[in-house]
Amino acid sequence: MKRPFPLLTLNARLGLLLGLLGVGALVIGNPAAGSTVTLDPVELSRIVQTETDHVSVEELSDWIIRGKDDFRLIDLRSEAEFAAYHIPGAENVQLPALADHGLLRNEKIILYSEGGIHSAQAWFLMKAREYRGVYLLRGGLEEWKETILFPRLPSTPTAEQAAVFEKKKEVSKFFGGSPLTGAAPEQPGRTIAMPEPVMPPAPAAGSAAGGAPVKKKKEGC
Amino acid sequence: MSAPFYKFGLFGDNVSLILAFVIGIGFGFFLERAGFGNARKLAAQFYFTDLAVFKVMFTAIVTAMLGIFYLSWIGYLDLSLVYVSPTYIVPQVVGGLILGFGFVIGGYCPGTAAVSISTGRYDGMVFLAGVIAGIFIFGEAFPVVKEFYASTPMGIVTLPQLLNLPYGLIVFLVVAMAIGGFAGGTWVEKYVAARKKGAQS
Repeated sequence: MKRPFPLLTLNARLGLLLGLLGVGALVIGNPAAGSTVTLDPVELSRIVQTETDHVSVEELSDWIIRGKDDFRLIDLRSEAEFAAYHIPGAENVQLPALADHGLLRNEKIILYSEGGIHSAQAWFLMKAREYRGVYLLRGGLEEWKETILFPRLPSTPTAEQAAVFEKKKEVSKFFGGSPLTGAAPEQPGRTIAMPEPVMPPAPAAGSAAGGAPVKKKKEGC
Repeated sequence: MSAPFYKFGLFGDNVSLILAFVIGIGFGFFLERAGFGNARKLAAQFYFTDLAVFKVMFTAIVTAMLGIFYLSWIGYLDLSLVYVSPTYIVPQVVGGLILGFGFVIGGYCPGTAAVSISTGRYDGMVFLAGVIAGIFIFGEAFPVVKEFYASTPMGIVTLPQLLNLPYGLIVFLVVAMAIGGFAGGTWVEKYVAARKKGAQS
């Protein structure tokens, strides 16, 4: 049987293949460009419908506690509000500055604002700029306060509710919050003094991704 | 279905550990089959008599690079979710040098030491004991080196960003480097072998 390239050794043929793939890459340029659909409204609405773009406050608190650092947390509120309190590890970026903040398209970005409106709007702006891994913190900082910082035990808890609350208490303490027991009628959360962020705040806006204040979880070799 | 599977939640932490084990065994198996469980073979690259290690490592790099590039281009891999470890340039250069010295002196890198133990080599066991001792010393001395460890942070950087060049061009340049490295490596091997022969006769 005649071989296709009788003059070339196996190594040379593999080298040729390597070279061809390299030239192909040169022609393609950006690998993400081909797979990024520029604003497909149907796809976007599907994401919104199925809420795959949401990160719950429980998930986020769990990630922070476990020291995951494969995401960037963006606080969209004003500087004053950010200074008063922010979720540990968050970076303060105002909406207009979002594009120039040095966020990379290959990063997992979690947006939050006080409620959810600003972050949802920012989410669309980011999607329009072909950022792919953009997520919303469900319920925003309000939900964070109610569920993580100041969890509340109903006045007549069932055994299950009490068990869940025990866990929530631990989480709350980690973030410097204070769990509330009983159905105290006073305004929850916001009237109570906000805790200092447990971990040092993230580097000032504009700096690169490094210096995440949480412990590193090593991936790779 | 899209990769990376773990980040898309296809499986959880437990399954990921099992998969890591299976992949690790596979990795070790092929390292051993390539002869990398033998310190003489590994050390030969430093005498330029056998550059197999260099070639295998470069092959691994270009294979992974091209795989990631093309899978991402096809849309099968979400590059945005692939973990890139942050760069701390000075500590990492120093760490690399320490690892290199250890490699030259001991004849193994940590992975190949584990591989050599699986075939019952005593030198591999001694080497791995050294690795563990080193980890222990580093852990105990961490408060002292902590500041240095986190110095010169550059964040998550990739070559295309750093050099402000298109991805494809970087891929092409690395491929060109690899082909040059393979050809050059083979040439060096032949040259050294010929000189040795000449010296003997």
